[in-house]
Amino acid sequence: MKSNSDNNTESKSTSLRYPTAVRIAVVGGVFSVIVAALLAVNYVQRTVFDERRIAELDRLKIEILSRPNDEQLMGRIRQLDLEVRRDRIRRVDFSRKGGWLLAAGLVVMVVGIKWADTLRRKLPHPELRGDVRAEQVTEATWARRAVTAGLLLLGASALLLTLIPQVDFVKSSFEVGPDEVWPGFRGPGGVGVGVTTNVPVKWNGGTGEGILWKKKVPLRGHNSPIAWGDRVFVSGADANERQVYCFDADSGDLLWRGGVETEAGKTSEPLDVMEDTGFAAPTCVTDGKRVCAIFANGDVGCFDYKGKQLWTRGLGVPESAYGYASSLAMYRNLVLIQYDQATEEDEKSKMIALNVLSGQTVWETKRPVGGAWTSPIVDKVGGSEQLITCGDPWVIAYNPANGEELWRAECMGDDLAPSPIYAGGLVLAIESNVKMVAIRPDGRGDVTKTHILWMVEDGIPDIPSPVSNGELVFLLTSDGTLTCYRLTDHAKLWEQDLGTGFNASPTIVGNRLYLLSEKGVMIIAEFAEGYKEAARYELGEECHASPAFVSGRIYIRGLENLYCIGSTASQEP
Amino acid sequence: MMRSSHVTIALLFPLMLTGIASAAERFPPPEFETGYELPPVTNITQAVPRGDIYEYLDVAVLAAALALSSYLVLKKRSRRWIYTLMIFSLLYFGFWRKGCVCPIGAIQNVVLSIFDETYAMPITVTLFFVLPLVFTLFFGRTFCAAVCPLGAMQDLVALRPISIPAWLEAGLRLFAYVYLAAAVLFAATGSAFIICRYDPFVSFFRLSGWFNILVLGACILLIGVFVGRPYCRFLCPYGVILRQLSRLSKRRVTITPDECIKCRLCEDSCPFGAIREPTAEWPAGHYVKSKKRLGLLIAILPVLIFVFGWLGSELKGIASRAHSTVRLADRVHLEDAGRVEGTTNASDAFRATGKDVEQLNAEASGIIAQFGTGGWVFGGFVGLVIGLTLISLTVQRKRTDYEADRGSCLACGRCFEYCPRENVRLKRLKETVGGD
Repeated sequence: MKSNSDNNTESKSTSLRYPTAVRIAVVGGVFSVIVAALLAVNYVQRTVFDERRIAELDRLKIEILSRPNDEQLMGRIRQLDLEVRRDRIRRVDFSRKGGWLLAAGLVVMVVGIKWADTLRRKLPHPELRGDVRAEQVTEATWARRAVTAGLLLLGASALLLTLIPQVDFVKSSFEVGPDEVWPGFRGPGGVGVGVTTNVPVKWNGGTGEGILWKKKVPLRGHNSPIAWGDRVFVSGADANERQVYCFDADSGDLLWRGGVETEAGKTSEPLDVMEDTGFAAPTCVTDGKRVCAIFANGDVGCFDYKGKQLWTRGLGVPESAYGYASSLAMYRNLVLIQYDQATEEDEKSKMIALNVLSGQTVWETKRPVGGAWTSPIVDKVGGSEQLITCGDPWVIAYNPANGEELWRAECMGDDLAPSPIYAGGLVLAIESNVKMVAIRPDGRGDVTKTHILWMVEDGIPDIPSPVSNGELVFLLTSDGTLTCYRLTDHAKLWEQDLGTGFNASPTIVGNRLYLLSEKGVMIIAEFAEGYKEAARYELGEECHASPAFVSGRIYIRGLENLYCIGSTASQEP
Repeated sequence: MMRSSHVTIALLFPLMLTGIASAAERFPPPEFETGYELPPVTNITQAVPRGDIYEYLDVAVLAAALALSSYLVLKKRSRRWIYTLMIFSLLYFGFWRKGCVCPIGAIQNVVLSIFDETYAMPITVTLFFVLPLVFTLFFGRTFCAAVCPLGAMQDLVALRPISIPAWLEAGLRLFAYVYLAAAVLFAATGSAFIICRYDPFVSFFRLSGWFNILVLGACILLIGVFVGRPYCRFLCPYGVILRQLSRLSKRRVTITPDECIKCRLCEDSCPFGAIREPTAEWPAGHYVKSKKRLGLLIAILPVLIFVFGWLGSELKGIASRAHSTVRLADRVHLEDAGRVEGTTNASDAFRATGKDVEQLNAEASGIIAQFGTGGWVFGGFVGLVIGLTLISLTVQRKRTDYEADRGSCLACGRCFEYCPRENVRLKRLKETVGGD
């Protein structure tokens, strides 16, 4: 047993060591807090302030895409990039060293606490307890209550979580019905077939009968109207300005106009385009949230439905003999641009896919063709979608997601204007005034010798695109000859001289053909048992663009005005 | 013992905390427009695979550690040696093996191998999962005592453990069951290994990790200063299984080496609240009420299982977002609908494949349906656990001695030295008995 003197010595020693242990713990703790605070400040600087600069850098990088020759902007990007990197390295270094210091401080603190704890360790000295039985009963009761509370908490949490709205993958992403959209040139799929019912049956541009509204479009353009829900879009341009217009579908009010201008689209001399083509021949495209347009000088612009410009891209002025005229197409979040120009030997033609959200190029692929005025279409072929293009001399299909070429057929010549269609399982491509070719689109590689099913040469149009109901295909020439072929055996069934000229492509809605003449006369004809003209209505204004058939209305663009044919109330056909 | 703890803490803390510094984001490579090409990085970043022999060595070390731990807990009854083994396990399985494979995460491998026939589980992972279970079945939670690196980490920082009220302990323990059920659900559907993803200590072991996980780990350690081993007691999904097996174990930790003299010295010695005192006879009235309550709880048990099963199945929408395919379908849907700005790498990659969105949506819908079925099991299990817990709290237990709870005891050995009988066994009290 220890003697009293031993105990006294040990007690004295403990009383000296305990304050030392506490001081060590306090010093370690204070040091750790200071280092931790500095590390926290460093972290906030890295994650908040530096992130802002990175966001600014990203924004500038997007901006430089539309101003590739802006040396000042490039210099700013380089400087900012350097600063961001330098600061990041400095902060990471600070974080690493601070971590070691914090570790050291905490070790000192913990050792101090443990030491002090050991020095003041006491044997347990249980106090007398009261009614143990009552204590145990109360404890069990409270434990049941706690578990019940846990039960309620878990149940309520689960119930709340079930209230969070979830995506229904079965439903379409469209928030409007299929008859309420005409998203691009010649409507859904670019094939000129409308699904709306209640198409207006009578109108007169002179008296205003059947015309819901008529509005002047500020700048001219031969592009066709497109529509989505309650919005109608067209574009217009002259040698100096390029604009996108948004009209209210019900009132015709011009809701907004958005200008498009890029450095790449500027030319030292006025752009030389044919009057029949103009500066805004390509039709816009929309996905229901955004609308995009391209102009003769290669400027592309995108706006949201409130008119806010999202981005612009300058693709460079295309070398087009008559003026650039290919309309835009859209696939998912991609704006597809058939940028054909110059000659095949010049190797300047390409297919470009831009991200509709940012305008950045997602993919780009060169095309072995010369300039053409056809528009690309995206249609579902078999189980997947194909981007089908018509150029000189190739008809080429791509995977619209990545630009991978699927097949190509050498069957076209120069000066192409009619756009291809996909109908009855066939791709129908037209070489202006020469021939129409039917291609089976399930091949891979060069299918020229294997997948061209037939070819016809009568009644071939030069500008209007063909239209088909899946069994019959109709060709409309600029001088007014309407020719009908049967798809299955390419037999020519009938031919009709309409006695007037056309630039607009024909449209099928229900079992009727809608043919809009250059003079603004809409010829409505039934075709089930040969050609049978149902009606002719005059607009009173020259028309080059193809009409849009949406929500029981027809939107027609004249040279000067945009018309809405129909009424606010639905009409019986 | 305390001196050794000082040394080990001094050794381990720097390692833990340097993880925070090393967890800084990797630096993105610069973008050059001058034509300069970055050198190939293959040789720089490719890690050399670990030799198979080391995996078997890990299993051997695990088996040896479990055997030694069982010996130290049950035979040697030495907290000092248990502590030393714990430090070894922390260094080996934690910092050296970087916390992987661990038996806790191996739950998910086992579950996935059951539900996904294409998933082949290595034998070493199987052994990591099975060995602690076998040892627990025979010797109690000796794995938790000195082999688990996660437990060791928390044990080291338990500087000022306070006593948690039994009612709070009973409520908080439910989270571990929910966590286990969720981990099984996500693993079975091939969605995620959430135990690994949210392992709060692996970032310390690897000296790198997500900032959020580092903060989570730091918070748990901070709580662990005052609440003994909070992760082990209230979150560990493997601990849920060990708890049940430990109840069945043939041999187990006893506070006293021979007989309990009810001195109450051990009463507050356990920082994990695992010591149960002798029970008193309940009042007669309370006993009758308890019988009625028990009948009621047994009657509503199926209702609880059904209601929670239904709730679990209704969570399929939100829970299924843990699956990458569902997240991708959701993202693509939102992008196509124009409800989000920009694209993600995943959506870009999907679109580059040219696959059909409808096909993606069909896959996502199938996975959501799996979550619907799995949700029934998940929720039903949670309902069953809650119901059985309530029942167990209604049934009176009879104890005559101070005992370590069969399920909760982590076999750390702290209580041994508080027992006078243990000190007699160790011949420490021989001089004092009758001395004064």
